Amino acid sequence: MNAGLKLLLTIWIAIEISFVTNLTVNLVVIGVSLIILLFTKIKWQSLFKLFFWPLFPAAGLLVSQLFYGNGGPLFAWILFTRIYAYVLVGAIFTETTDLTTLALTLEQNFHLPAKFAYGVLAAFNLLPKIVEQVKTIKTAGLMRGVVLHFWSPQLYFKAILASISWSENLAEAMTSHGFVEGQRRSHRYPTRLNYLDWGLFIAVIIAFQLLIWVATNSQSLF
Amino acid sequence: MKQQRWSLRNIILIALIAIFCGLIFWGAGFLYTALTVALTPLGMAPYANDILMGLWCMAGPLTGYIIRIPGSAFLGEFLGSAVEVFLGGQWGASAFISGLVQGIGSELGFTLTGYKHYDWLGLSASILSTTIITFAWDWFRSGYNQYGALMLIGLFVTRLISTFVFAGLLTRLITNLLDRSQVLNR
Repeated sequence: MNAGLKLLLTIWIAIEISFVTNLTVNLVVIGVSLIILLFTKIKWQSLFKLFFWPLFPAAGLLVSQLFYGNGGPLFAWILFTRIYAYVLVGAIFTETTDLTTLALTLEQNFHLPAKFAYGVLAAFNLLPKIVEQVKTIKTAGLMRGVVLHFWSPQLYFKAILASISWSENLAEAMTSHGFVEGQRRSHRYPTRLNYLDWGLFIAVIIAFQLLIWVATNSQSLF
Repeated sequence: MKQQRWSLRNIILIALIAIFCGLIFWGAGFLYTALTVALTPLGMAPYANDILMGLWCMAGPLTGYIIRIPGSAFLGEFLGSAVEVFLGGQWGASAFISGLVQGIGSELGFTLTGYKHYDWLGLSASILSTTIITFAWDWFRSGYNQYGALMLIGLFVTRLISTFVFAGLLTRLITNLLDRSQVLNR
C-alpha cells in the first residue's frame, strides 16, 4: 500500500480505538496486526520487544484502574489491550515503511511542498550523526568535570548550536545541488497512488467500522 | 534568523532540534519505565506519565521560540514524537497522535498570544494550553474519565507542574543561553 495512505490509516485506526471502548475490537485489531506482522517476516527479537516493553505502561494503567477507577475490570482490560493495539498497528507501519518512500509520496501524491519533504528527510538522515553528537556533547562535558543530564540546559543549548550550523550547511548543500524552493521538480523515483491503494484503504476502513458495529451491538455475547 | 519564514533552512532546523529532543527523551525512557514499575503496585502508574509529561512537550515551545513562525511549535513537537515512533517507543502508533495533540497544545499558547509574546506570557499560555489539551486527550485514551475527583486533581496538578518545569523553566533557561550567546541574530 502507498506509504502516505498507510500513515493515514494507522492514525485513523489509532484515533478510533481511543474512543471505542470495546475489548473485542482491541483483541481483533491485535490479532489481525499480529498476523500481518508475521507475514512481513518480522524478527522474533523485535516481536518480543513489541510485547515486552508496552507491558509496563499497560500493566500500570490496568492496576491503577482496578484500584481507583470506577469502570470495573472490563474497562481496565480495555485500556490494557488498547496499548497493545496501538503498538502493533504502529509496528505494521514502521516495519513496512521507510522514511524516504514516505517523504517522496507525501511530496508527489499528497501535495506536501518539496521543501518540507526534503528538508525533514535530510534532517532525519542525520539521525546517526545526531546520536553521535549527543554522546560527544556529554563526553566534552565530562572532560570539564560537568555531568550533563537530560534536564541540563547546556545539553540542549549545545545541541541547538549544532542544529543551527548543520541546518545552514544542509540547506546550502541542497541548494548547490540544484534544489530550488517552490520550483517544479521532475522525479527520479516516481511514487504511485493508484485505485488499488485507494480501494484497499477504503476496504480496511469499512471493514473496521463493521467490526466496531458488530462488536458494540453484540455486547451480550461477551 | 533575520527572515522568519518557511525557508528550507528553517524547516531543517526545526526538524533537527525536534530530533535532538526526541532522542534525549527517548534516552530518558528508562526513567519512565522505572517510575511505572515503582508506582504500579500502588496503582499510581498514571503519575509516571504525568510527572514526565513536560519533558515530552519540550520540543514544541523550544522550536516555537527559536523559529518564530506560526506552526513551528506544532511541527517541532510532532516531529519529535515521530522520532520515537521510528526508534520504537513504548507507545507505538499512539505516539503520532500524542505528537499531534501535544503539538496543537504547544502551538495554541503562541496562537492565543498572537505570536507576539515570546516571553513568560507566551510561554505560560503555551504551558497552560499544553496541559489542558494533553489532559483532555488522556481523559479518553488512558481512561482518566473513570477516576475520582481527588485522583484527577492530583494528576492535573502533577502534569501542570511537570509542564511548567520542563516546557517552561528549562525551555526558558535554554533560550536565555541562546539569547545571551546571540546566535539567533535577532
